[in-house]
Amino acid sequence: MDNKLLDVKNLETVFKQRKIIIHAVNGISFSIKKGEMLGVVGESGCGKSVSMLSIVNLIPPSGTIKNGQILFEGQDLRKINKHDFYSIRGNKIGIIFQDPITSLNPFLKIGIQISEGLIYHKKLSKNQAMKRSAELLDLVGIANPKERLNEYPHQFSGGMRQRVMIAIAISCEPELLIADEPTTALDVTIQAQIMELIKNLRSRLDTSIILITHDLALVAGMVDRVIVMYSGFIVEEALVNDLYDNPQHPYTISLLKSIPKLRGQTASKLLSIEGSPPELLEKPQFCPFAPRCKYNIEKCWQATPPMRSVSEDNDSHKVACWVNKKNGVEK
Amino acid sequence: MWKYLGNRLLRWIPTVLIVLLVVYALVFFGAGDPIRLIFLRAPGDIAYNPERVEAMREAAGLNKPFLVQFWNYISHLVQGDFGNSLLTGRSVGSMIAKAFPITLQMGLAAGVFITIIGTILGIIAALNHNQWVDNIISGFAMGVWGVPVFVSGPLLMIFFVKVVRIMDVPYGWHGIFSTRTILPLLVMTITPMALVIRQARSALLQVLSEDYIRTARSKGIPNIQILTRHMLKPILSPVVSQVGLIMIAILNNAVLLETVFGIPGVGNLAVDSITTSDYPVILALVFIGSTVVLMSNLMVDLVLPILDPRALARKEETD
Amino acid sequence: MKNINEIKKNKTNYENAIQDAPTESFLKDAFTRFIANKGAVIGLVLISILFLIAFIGPYITPYDFLAQNIEERNQGISWQHPFGTDDLGRDILSRVIYGARTAVIISLSVTLLSFLIGIVIGSIGAYNVGTKIDGFIVWLIDVTMSIPSLLLVIVLNTSLKPLFITWMESQYLSTKNPIFRETIWVDFILVFGSIALIKWPKAARIIRGQILSIRNKNYVKAAIASGVSTVGILRKYIIPNSMGPVIVLFSATLGEAMVFESAFSFLGVGVRPPMPSWGNMISDGLRVWHLYPHILAAPAAVLAIMSMAYSFLGDGLNDALNPRQWK
Repeated sequence: MDNKLLDVKNLETVFKQRKIIIHAVNGISFSIKKGEMLGVVGESGCGKSVSMLSIVNLIPPSGTIKNGQILFEGQDLRKINKHDFYSIRGNKIGIIFQDPITSLNPFLKIGIQISEGLIYHKKLSKNQAMKRSAELLDLVGIANPKERLNEYPHQFSGGMRQRVMIAIAISCEPELLIADEPTTALDVTIQAQIMELIKNLRSRLDTSIILITHDLALVAGMVDRVIVMYSGFIVEEALVNDLYDNPQHPYTISLLKSIPKLRGQTASKLLSIEGSPPELLEKPQFCPFAPRCKYNIEKCWQATPPMRSVSEDNDSHKVACWVNKKNGVEK
Repeated sequence: MWKYLGNRLLRWIPTVLIVLLVVYALVFFGAGDPIRLIFLRAPGDIAYNPERVEAMREAAGLNKPFLVQFWNYISHLVQGDFGNSLLTGRSVGSMIAKAFPITLQMGLAAGVFITIIGTILGIIAALNHNQWVDNIISGFAMGVWGVPVFVSGPLLMIFFVKVVRIMDVPYGWHGIFSTRTILPLLVMTITPMALVIRQARSALLQVLSEDYIRTARSKGIPNIQILTRHMLKPILSPVVSQVGLIMIAILNNAVLLETVFGIPGVGNLAVDSITTSDYPVILALVFIGSTVVLMSNLMVDLVLPILDPRALARKEETD
Repeated sequence: MKNINEIKKNKTNYENAIQDAPTESFLKDAFTRFIANKGAVIGLVLISILFLIAFIGPYITPYDFLAQNIEERNQGISWQHPFGTDDLGRDILSRVIYGARTAVIISLSVTLLSFLIGIVIGSIGAYNVGTKIDGFIVWLIDVTMSIPSLLLVIVLNTSLKPLFITWMESQYLSTKNPIFRETIWVDFILVFGSIALIKWPKAARIIRGQILSIRNKNYVKAAIASGVSTVGILRKYIIPNSMGPVIVLFSATLGEAMVFESAFSFLGVGVRPPMPSWGNMISDGLRVWHLYPHILAAPAAVLAIMSMAYSFLGDGLNDALNPRQWK
């Protein structure tokens, strides 16, 4: 019935710091199909990293998943036993982290770090794993892979370390890849290379990919679908072209307007969104964007808007907003 | 690598030479004429005959200029001759040979305990961060850190022998495995162990929050493997780098400890020789002491790059 | 969840640089953190009491600490003698109080002197970094720190003492000034001088390190580029920023010096009887501990408590002034 690889329902994650509880993720639901690439977009602190890392339970120790169903290939990852969970993490789901400088263990050789997963999950022998690791290094574009297996992370540049991270993430040929802001810590030219690499890998390996980024420009031309997050909520979900051509949520609209464009029909003013994201100390009982939204009406302050479809025949374009921006009328 | 080693050894020689020179000069110009001291200490009524003193001094070469005497000393040293004790007349080498093994045994036993138990306690404390186990271990480590051996030793001695009455008077040397050695060993271990506990604990806490541990977890490998493969080296690395400090602490402790418990080791020898201005012994001990410390620093420099690959890169830069 | 790294990346470098600068609330934060640490506060209280006793000591001792009363010797704890008497009939409480004076005088002198030397040498090194002067200084620091300090200080002490005494005798002979008869001061000066000679490298190393790292910070470079004088840089940036480690080092050195002094007195090469130092009281007590443990226990217990107090205080100061993120 579904070819949904991952189906997340009502995920809620909170952080406890001494007595303060921070609601980072406030009940989001989304899914991803096999072979699909999903972009998760939003500003810093909106909960995009936390929500995706919650899927594989890699949130910081002060965080707990309060609620939700995380169905991966039909199994609820929150309910399966430890052993099964470990055989999924790293094996069927690979993760690429944000900062390649700190994400590799400086005390261990690169070869060990890549082959670990292979040895444990795929039961390869050390030699086989090393051979495969060299192949992986070649795949991600590192020259002299065999020699470099014996080197340490500090002997690699930032961009190359990120390639190593990617090699680690894809080593067991996962069904799903979660890329948490893979290029944010790199400079622009390297960024382009890494994104190119991810693009290539995607077509070669047919993996589903979740690409988390705060950079809207990055997802254009890369992903199939996009979800936009704000303050721990998903506010809009659409196919990528729909999102750019026909953004519905006021936040999305502002985001798009604030992308600097080199060329354009009119040199539009670079808009910044006034105000700042709210402190997540309470789960808001109203639309989280209301304080900054210029379309806000009374209803926006009374209840959190649910996600509703705005596309004619399917659910492909959904938005969580009480206001239909065209008519300014409550839908 | 060997070049690096040779480099360090070469640096060590002038350092020790200078230390010896300084100490020699101090003793030479300060402590007083050794021959006269011998006379002053000699029992009975040996007449203080200035001519005899002068003759003895001449014979012992004490009228030669400072540098000449120093040079003589060094040339003998290189051949392994430490000279003879002014007090007992015996060869310094033999005195040290008798005392050294005792201190060595205590030092090694203490060192082993300190490292193993200290690291384990530190790890336990870190794993139970801020809970009662951690608070007890950390509090204990913090508390005993400053208390000197000659305070904790006697206090514990009073406690165990008089108050609780479970052991005999721990005085003198009865071998490393005697029950009477337990207390001195315990006292010797406590203070440096506090250092190790704190190092191991802070290292583990640091490691646990590192991104690369998150990466390791993301691979789905079991926690045991993460502990042994990913965490061990980052924890041991700072502990090992403190070995030099630990050695100095043990040496200092040995001196005081042996006085308290009457153990005839190197420490006791040192105190005796200093209070009696027996300067061949003093010099020999200073030489050995500095050598031990410098050697252990050298070993740390060798071991550290094995544990931490970044260390080698740094070393090559700075040398 | 706002992540510091994410926030930092979205600000400009200037704002980041400003963030590193110490704010006034830093001291307030540090104070709050310190107060919360019960052990540290207790330590501070105890040490304040120690200093207080050291200063008003002579006025509160129930007995003259030198007064011997053979009939009352070796008495245990009683109302008349709260700590008992020693084998010469002297009141132990009074002697312990005087021992506190010794401890404080010497540890204070040591710390001040070694800091003085350390600051001077450390600054010279830092401002001449890259030259042979600095190279020499760094080497000197390393070498001095790698020698077993106890031995070296004892040697220094015993060798210099006869020299000092001879010098003082000759001075007395030539000037007839009674000051030169007070050999007790020789003890004191020698002890704290030689301990200071061992302690200054640590201070120098930290000072030098602080100056170098602070001068390297972006906002300081900006200030230098805009023409602020060296003195100004020192005043505005270097001194306030290095306060943290310096304060911690100060208290640590005080504690260590106290322990060192007692160690030397214990071995017989520091302050010698009849002048009381906890160290030599312990050593005296060690001879008869089996029969009269209180002679040993009183000074030992006091010394133990004080060194633990320094330990907790130092740790509390460290946590308050140099906070670590993950604590």
